[in-house]
Amino acid sequence: MSSTPSRRARAKPWNQRLAPYLFVLPNMLIFGLFVVYPAINNFNISLYDSRNGRDFTFVGGANYQELFGSEAFCSAARATVVFATCFVVLTTVLSVALALMLNQRIKGRAFFRTVFFLPVVLSPVVVGLIWGWIFDRGNGLLNTVLARIGLGQPGWLVDGGLATIVVIFVGLWMHIGFYILIILAGLQGIDPTYYEAARMDGATNWQQLRKITLPLLRPTTMVVVILSLIAGFQAFDYIWTLTGGGPIGATTLMVQYIYENAFQSPIRYGLAAAASVVLFVTVFALTLLNFLYGRRKEAT
Amino acid sequence: MRRILASCIAMVTLAACAPGTTSGGGNEQVDDKTLTYLYFTDGPDEQATRNLIADYEKKSGVKVDLQIVPFDNLEQRLQARLSGGNAPDVARLTDISPFRSDLLDLNKFQKAALDGQFIDGAKAYITGAGGELLAVPSDLTMNGPLVNVDQFKKAGVSLPDVTKPWKWDEMVAAAQKVQKANKTQYAIAMDVSGHRFSTMLSQFGTTFFSADGTSVGLDTQKATAAVKLFADLNASGVLPADLWLQAGSKYKAANEIFLAQQTPVYISGNWQVSAFAKDATFTWAAAPNPCQETCGGFPGGKFMASFKQSKRQQAAADFIAYMNSKESQERLAKEANFLPTRKDLISSGIDYPQRDADMKVFLADVSRTPPQAFATSYSPAFAATAKATVDALGKVLAKSQSPEQAVETIKAAAEKALKDTK
Repeated sequence: MSSTPSRRARAKPWNQRLAPYLFVLPNMLIFGLFVVYPAINNFNISLYDSRNGRDFTFVGGANYQELFGSEAFCSAARATVVFATCFVVLTTVLSVALALMLNQRIKGRAFFRTVFFLPVVLSPVVVGLIWGWIFDRGNGLLNTVLARIGLGQPGWLVDGGLATIVVIFVGLWMHIGFYILIILAGLQGIDPTYYEAARMDGATNWQQLRKITLPLLRPTTMVVVILSLIAGFQAFDYIWTLTGGGPIGATTLMVQYIYENAFQSPIRYGLAAAASVVLFVTVFALTLLNFLYGRRKEAT
Repeated sequence: MRRILASCIAMVTLAACAPGTTSGGGNEQVDDKTLTYLYFTDGPDEQATRNLIADYEKKSGVKVDLQIVPFDNLEQRLQARLSGGNAPDVARLTDISPFRSDLLDLNKFQKAALDGQFIDGAKAYITGAGGELLAVPSDLTMNGPLVNVDQFKKAGVSLPDVTKPWKWDEMVAAAQKVQKANKTQYAIAMDVSGHRFSTMLSQFGTTFFSADGTSVGLDTQKATAAVKLFADLNASGVLPADLWLQAGSKYKAANEIFLAQQTPVYISGNWQVSAFAKDATFTWAAAPNPCQETCGGFPGGKFMASFKQSKRQQAAADFIAYMNSKESQERLAKEANFLPTRKDLISSGIDYPQRDADMKVFLADVSRTPPQAFATSYSPAFAATAKATVDALGKVLAKSQSPEQAVETIKAAAEKALKDTK
């Protein structure tokens, strides 16, 4: 009877057993120092209040109580949920659709891939400023064109609903290239023999897409869903330069709320830390749900 | 057992990262002939400050390390340095409230040179609970309108005399006439700022806080009248409503609109004088603030302070005294088109080598500004209330709140801000 793998591992000399851990140690140390420790410290700070960033008073759960009683936080939380939901759904659908298109042998494929990927390397601040000029109601590029063809001058950045659409659009424009790249990698990992076999069996393109491509793409799509979910909940930089969270808070998301409380006068580190904890728990729970749901689907 | 171990590790980790611990930073004094000066610049003041520092270095033999940081980042950076026991010796501040307990009593070192020398409006703000001199008002700002003289001339509209300011409706009518004649986008533009709107409130006879700064002083009726006028001017296109709505919660100046000649009247303040002297391609001038119930503008300003953590307290106080002596302030004011804070300079007046007439308009408004405006501007609760005011006004412009509701919101924010600072 052969020995179990664990018994075999135990039989290895100690230096061989230690080697894998030594390889991951530097990463674990950096992860611990820059992710785990700040996260624990952040939770700790959320239990204190300070009006000047130094004289901390222990207040227990008072920051959380203040948070959930605050109209500003609830409004930011609502806006974040709307933004993240739209962002995740549109990112997933569009990145799969565009990746399928760019995976075909079409003319100028490399050009289109570059065009979609280019915004990913731009600074979010620059993206915010550029689209701000384009969407400006009075002097913006878009409205100048619309006015010339008699379509009026919509208040893209001064109407709450339109501003939400604008920030979702700009977010998609900026990030979609990255997700397309992930899906393209997933598509290229699918064994072409499946398609050959399907074609020999007389399967149509639509059937190949439904029965081969999409099911085999599920793990990659799940990665896109999780990453876009995190990106959606953490959106801030380009929105800050594009709308400043306006008009009247319509595009103020949770990260901006955290930023304003942590870094703008009056500085409230405790409140900002509490909001960060809420954001972390939300994203973690949603990611976990997605992950578990994805695994169950795979198992079935 | 494992759970107990995990709990112990978690507790030790939490205890280790309890916030608020500082790493010493004791205040044993040294005399190494160096000073650090944490500074942010409004632009024209930087060279003037460097010139003054160069002279001070020659006279005193002290080397001053001017550390310029972005204004947006100042408070956060200073808090971090104080937490780390690495405070600068001197700092330029707009709000001393978050640092009150850290500030050095300058009276211990330079009482004769500094105590009682500066505008009375700032006295309560810069004085500690035990009578300490916590900071020195180093320059004063005054809000007020700047006008495009070329456009006024083209429209045949005359500007008001310094001694006979417009009423609000007169200013609006004049601006609209000029707008029509020059086909500009707007008639008046105002920075997106609670501080700037406070000018309007003050002219309508009310301020956020009472004259002694201890209670909310906002008169509902007067404030509502100001908010209504502001809303009407935005709704009718006299003011650019988009500017306020598109700014979100960020400060936004309307200087670009004025420089692009898209508004004949721009409500801002004297800190624009040097910049416009350089950048404007047209003739412009400062006009006296409009009067309503009261006249004058709304003050603001910067402060110089040192810290208990400083290891060069005497040198820091000496430097602050030098930078705020009559000669130095006058020189800074002349080179940067700033307004003085020293009583002797205010009474003697300053002849500015550049834009003297405009600076005299602002100076005249300093004397017309009611004391309550100073009390409100220098209140520790002002920043939070001003921020809430911008939000409330945005809601009025978006028609999601009435002017009456906005005033109630501002009042509630002022009450909360006062409570938070106590």
